[in-house]
Amino acid sequence: MVFLRSEEHLTRWLDANGWEPGATITAAKMNELARVWWWTRLDPGWRPRAPQESQAILDSLGLSGEFWQL
Amino acid sequence: MYFSIVANGRPPTVVETAAAFELDMLEMEESYRRLHDAHALVLHPDSVEVWMANPFCFAPTPHRVTAGGLGWTGTCAWDALGIPAALHTDGEVDSDCACCGEQVRLRVENGELVEGADLLVHILVPARRWWDDIGFT
Repeated sequence: MVFLRSEEHLTRWLDANGWEPGATITAAKMNELARVWWWTRLDPGWRPRAPQESQAILDSLGLSGEFWQL
Repeated sequence: MYFSIVANGRPPTVVETAAAFELDMLEMEESYRRLHDAHALVLHPDSVEVWMANPFCFAPTPHRVTAGGLGWTGTCAWDALGIPAALHTDGEVDSDCACCGEQVRLRVENGELVEGADLLVHILVPARRWWDDIGFT
C-alpha cells in the first residue's frame, strides 16, 4: 500500500511493474480508514476483530465491492 | 507488547518478555508464535523477532512517521497513517511517491489530514488476500 503523487504516476508505476490495478483511494480517505481501524489498537483490552467487524468498518467508509470483501 | 513498544520504541524480545513474566523461554516463543498465527503481530520469517506489530514496523520501509515526540516506521501507507491514530496524537508522515521516488509529506492534526490529503494510495492486493503475504500487501 503505497503513496503516489497522481493518477499519471499510478499508471506509470503499474505499467513499469506489470501489475494489474487494485484499488485507489485518496490519502484523506486512507486517513479516515486508519483512524477508525487503529484507534483502539493500544487499548489494554484490545482483541483481534471478528471479520464481520472489520468488514463493517470498510463498508461504513464506502469501501465496498468485491475488492474490499474480506 | 504494545505497552513496551510505546514506552521503548521497539518490541520486547522473547528473552525480555520471558523474564518479565518469569516464564520459560520456549513457552514464551510459543506465545509469540501464537500471536503471529492470530495476526496480532508478524514475526520475521524463521525467527521469533517481531517484524510488525501493526501499525508499527521494525524493519526499514519508505514510510517514516513522527508522532508523540518519537520517530516510527509504518509498514505501509495505511499503517503510517495509523500510527498517529493509534497514539491519539498529531503526526507527520514522510514517504516517497512509489513511481518517481519524490518525497511526499502528510500531516495529521486533530485527526484530519491537513497536508497531503490529495495524494493517492494504491492497494494492489484484494482484501481477502491481505494476509496471504502480509509483507507484500
